[in-house]
Amino acid sequence: MTIQADRTQRQFTPDPERKLGDDEGPSKPDVKKPTAPNELLKRMKRVDPDQAKKYRQRSGQ
Amino acid sequence: MRPILAGLDTEYGFSVEGRGAGDQVDDARALVRSFPGECFPFWDDRFESPRSDLRGFRLDRLSFDPEDAKFDADRAPEPVHEVRADRVLCNGARFYNDHGHPEYATPETWSLEELVMHDRAGDHAVLSSAAALAASVGREVRVYKNNTDFHGASYGTHESYLVPRSVPVENLISGLMPLFVARQVLTGAGKVGSEQGARCDFQISQRADFFAEAVNAETLYRRPVFNTRDEPHADLKKWVRLHVICGESNLISTATRIKLALTKAAIHLIEAGDQPVWPLADPVSATKQLSRQPDGEGRIELEGRSWTTARHVIESYVEPFLASTLDVTDPYVQELRKALTGALSLLEARFADPERFARSVDWAAKRSLLEQYVESEGVGWRHGSLQSLDLEYHRLDGGVGVFQALRDASLVDPDPPEEETAKRRTRVFEDSRARARSIAVSKFQESLVSASWGALTFKTANGEKTVALDPERAYSATLADCGTVEELIMELEAPR
Repeated sequence: MTIQADRTQRQFTPDPERKLGDDEGPSKPDVKKPTAPNELLKRMKRVDPDQAKKYRQRSGQ
Repeated sequence: MRPILAGLDTEYGFSVEGRGAGDQVDDARALVRSFPGECFPFWDDRFESPRSDLRGFRLDRLSFDPEDAKFDADRAPEPVHEVRADRVLCNGARFYNDHGHPEYATPETWSLEELVMHDRAGDHAVLSSAAALAASVGREVRVYKNNTDFHGASYGTHESYLVPRSVPVENLISGLMPLFVARQVLTGAGKVGSEQGARCDFQISQRADFFAEAVNAETLYRRPVFNTRDEPHADLKKWVRLHVICGESNLISTATRIKLALTKAAIHLIEAGDQPVWPLADPVSATKQLSRQPDGEGRIELEGRSWTTARHVIESYVEPFLASTLDVTDPYVQELRKALTGALSLLEARFADPERFARSVDWAAKRSLLEQYVESEGVGWRHGSLQSLDLEYHRLDGGVGVFQALRDASLVDPDPPEEETAKRRTRVFEDSRARARSIAVSKFQESLVSASWGALTFKTANGEKTVALDPERAYSATLADCGTVEELIMELEAPR
C-alpha cells in the first residue's frame, strides 16, 4: 500500500495472521428459499422493469 | 474511554416525473425548500475548507466529473446559499442541496443508537419534503436511499468521526484502510451489475466501482477509499473530522449500527496504538475484488504475495476491542460491544446460517430477494428488470414497497421503535453540541443569524455575536429554559 503522507510512516510489525495457499474458502451453501408465490414475488412483479434504464442522477460526493 | 462524536450524511437519489438529470439541481433545491416543518434557512459556511488535506497541504481545486459538468455548461453562476438552499432543522440537522441531491446531515451524536435513529429521521425529512414538492408541482416525486444510478453516477453516504489531531494521520490511514476494504461484507448495500471494469452479475458494494485511488481529498471524481479532506467543523488545532466516503446507504438499521461501531472501534484502537497491521497490496483493487466475491470468504491480497479474508480483517479489530473494554458499565461502551458482538456472530452466520445473515446485511437481503425473482421468472441476472428491482429495494416513497414487504415479513431486522425515531425529528436527546443548535433553532430563531456545526451567530442588543460550540462539552436541556438570547449566550459561553 502506498501512503501518500509526508510524515514518518509506522513500520508494519508484527505480521497479522494470514492465510496462504489457493483455497478460496467455503463455497456458497445451498439455501432453501421461501416458496413462491409469495407477497414479495407479487410485489417484485409489479415493478416497472425499465425504471433503472430511465433512472439518471447527477454525480454527488 | 473518550466517546467519539459522529454523524451521517446521506445524499438521496430522487426523480421528479417528467424531469431529468439536467434539472436536478433546481429540483433538489425545490425539494429542500419544500420541507414542511419548522426550520432555519441560514447556514454559516465560513468555516468550510473542502480543499484542505489532512496530510498538510491544500489543493488548488477539486476535480469534477467531466460528464456531469456538461449539465452545468450553460448554467449561470448563482450565490452558493441560493444553490444550497440550506435548512437547519429543529433537531440540529442540516438539510440542503448538495450537487443536485437533497442531503440530510444528521446532528452529531456520541451514541450509536441515537445516530441510527437520526438517520431514520432524515428519511422522514426527505420524504415529507418530496411529498410537499409533489403536491406543489403536481408531479410524482420518487426518493431512493442508494448510491448509484447504474449509469456511472454515484452519490454518497458519508460518515464523520471527530478524532484528536494528535493522532498521526499515517496511523489513521494505515489503521483504517484494511477495515474500509473489509467491512463491506457486513455493510455493503449490494448492486446488480457493474459500472466500471469487468462485468459481473451482482456485487457486494454499490460504491466499489467508483474508487480510483487509495488516498486523496477528492469526493466527486477519482474518489479515494480513504478521504483526507481536512474540515474539522471544530477547533482546527485540536480536532480532525475523519470524513469517510467509502460507505454506502443501508436500509437495514443493523448494518448502519455495525458500520459505525466497527469504525469507532478501529479509531479507539488506533488512538491506543493497538491497531492491527495489514499490509494491503492495493486497497483500490482489494475493494473492487472483494465486492465481486459475494460467494465464499473472498480474498484480500496482501504485500508479499500472501492474502487474507475480510472476516480475518474484521475480527482483528473487533476481538482486541472487546478484550480491552471489559468494564461494561459505560453505556457508550455497552452499545459498541453489543454491536461488535453482533458483527462477530454475523461473520459466523454468513455461511452457517445465511438466512440470519440476510436479515442484517443489505447486500445479502437484496440478493436473496432477487434470487427468488430469477428462479421464479426464469430470467438471467443481466435482464434489465433486475437492476430495476435493485433500485426499488432502495425506494422510500412507498412505490411497490419491496423493502417494506421484507420488514413486514420479518425477513430483515427491525428498525428502532417508530415512536422513538419520530421524537428525533425535532429534538436532540443527548448533551452533544447538536442540542445547543437544536435549541437555538427551536426557541431563539428570531435572534439567530446563522448556524453551523461549530458555531452559532446571534443578533443581540450590542450587535452580532458568534458563539463557538465545543464538541467535547455537555450542553444541558436546561438551555431551553433561558428567557433571552443574552442569557442563552451567557450559558453557552460559561466556563465548564
